[in-house]
Amino acid sequence: MQVYVDRAKCDNHGQCTFSAPTIFRLDEQGVLQYEEHADESLRNDVEEAADVCPLQAIFIKD
Amino acid sequence: MPTDIAVPYLDISDPAFAMHSEAVRNARSQHWYAKTNYGFAILRYEYVSKLLKDPRLSQGSGKWPDHNGVHSGLFYDWWTKCLLVLEGDDHHRIRRLLNPAFSPRHIEPYLPRFEELAIELIDGVLDKGEFEYVNDFAEPYATRVLCILLGIPETEWPTIARLASTIGLALGVTLKQDLGVVEDALQELYGYAENLIADRQANPGDDLVTKLVQANADGDTLSDSELRNALCLLIFGGMDTTRNQLGLGMMSYLHNLDQWELLAKNPELARAAVEEVMRTNPTTTWVTREAVVDFDYEDLHVDAGTTVHFFTQVSGTDPEAYPNPEIDITAERAPHYGFGGGMHHCLGHFVARADMTIALKVLSQRMTNMRINGADEWLPDSGNTGPVKLPIAFDKR
Ligand code: HEM
Ligand code: HEM
Ligand code: SF4
Repeated sequence: MQVYVDRAKCDNHGQCTFSAPTIFRLDEQGVLQYEEHADESLRNDVEEAADVCPLQAIFIKD
Repeated sequence: MPTDIAVPYLDISDPAFAMHSEAVRNARSQHWYAKTNYGFAILRYEYVSKLLKDPRLSQGSGKWPDHNGVHSGLFYDWWTKCLLVLEGDDHHRIRRLLNPAFSPRHIEPYLPRFEELAIELIDGVLDKGEFEYVNDFAEPYATRVLCILLGIPETEWPTIARLASTIGLALGVTLKQDLGVVEDALQELYGYAENLIADRQANPGDDLVTKLVQANADGDTLSDSELRNALCLLIFGGMDTTRNQLGLGMMSYLHNLDQWELLAKNPELARAAVEEVMRTNPTTTWVTREAVVDFDYEDLHVDAGTTVHFFTQVSGTDPEAYPNPEIDITAERAPHYGFGGGMHHCLGHFVARADMTIALKVLSQRMTNMRINGADEWLPDSGNTGPVKLPIAFDKR
């Protein structure tokens, strides 16, 4: 599964890190870092992250 | 580091202090932060955007009861365990369990019901051509939206409104004197919440409370008391804020009737109309944080324990971020911080955004040429603000 975050939208609130902490994290500067590939077993968590993102900046491909 | 930068000072507990003032605007053009009698205030957009989410700052309201001489009891226990003041893993855990139920896909089924409610309320006064906007629209709308969301019978809205505003006394500096009535109200609200939970456990449906009852993340669930605390926080945190924000929205468009007409002709701009109100006229005029550790940020030194206020209205009208800061519902804008930011970013923002969008759309399609029609009354223009009374007259469209 491919994960894409629209950086122009993302405002680094970090709500996604609650849902899928192995895919999304905030670095020392408080900037979102994420894995572009997520294992299929994490689909529910990543979908949840996309659902709850306040800016609706997370997209999942395939 | 230059030492000659003059840092402005703002006395934010002066009863005459106002966000919409020359003094505050001057302070913002002078420097990115000001000293206040509580600590610091961050004034410019760029810095609010960065520091609001900084992990070296925590929510900071947790010690409120202690600061006011309240160290135990029903209110103390609720307050010190509720989402808003939890930090770190405790906060992550509860927030994760609550978040999905408030996502757009779960809120959407409620929207037609919100629209019916807005229409019912405004149709009741349409032929009169005048009404008291807070009492006749904003308050019943905000409260009944929460009743709809939580599945509380809408006829009970006056009780819910009364309980929430009684608990609101806890925000005042007379907390200790008011503690008895606050705790009675909280106890009564607990009763509602416990009944709701028991009912949905026995009769699960397709509603928000059922989703919370069934919330499950990797086997972790909310306990009954966590559910109860959360429901009370939703009522408390979602009602006055929405009522006040709707009041401020009406005031904004009373002063920008051309934008109101634009909205009436283009209902798809209603969401932008809400965002523009929250950017230029937010009810939460500041968001409070407290430094967890000593730290430096450019020329600002913050000691652990210092209060930092993020001024949302002031940063939302910062000409550096918004070259034409006046309300323009057709403009592309950077996000505002009227819903806070970071880990504590408002849980209910999708609900609030959706219900206010519907309200502005419905109102703009029915009313035109609004004007103030008698004495209005306001909360102070700082902290959490808004109109208490807003009599308006209008022409039926
Ligand atoms: C226009 C209406 C609203 C405004 C302006 C507003 C504003 C805010 C702000 C500024 C915060 C962050 C506080 C901070 O960072 O210190 C917040 C948090 C919160 N809001 Fe809202 N809110 C609104 C509506 C709602 C609604 C409708 C609900 C519930 C259904 C709600 C529930 C919450 C909760 C539970 C939190 C705490 C989140 C946390 O600490 O993780 N709010 N809100
Ligand atoms: C979840 C929704 C809530 C939101 C969005 C919210 C928002 C805010 C904001 C923005 C402030 C700063 C304004 C100020 O300092 O005057 C504030 C202060 C405060 N809030 Fe809330 N609040 C919420 C819930 C609650 C609840 C449930 C209580 C408890 C009864 C509460 C008690 C307080 C207190 C005591 C202060 C003053 C703190 C201080 O000045 O140090 N809040 N709140
Ligand atoms: S929740 Fe959304 S806005 Fe926040 S960090 Fe994640 S992607 Fe960015």
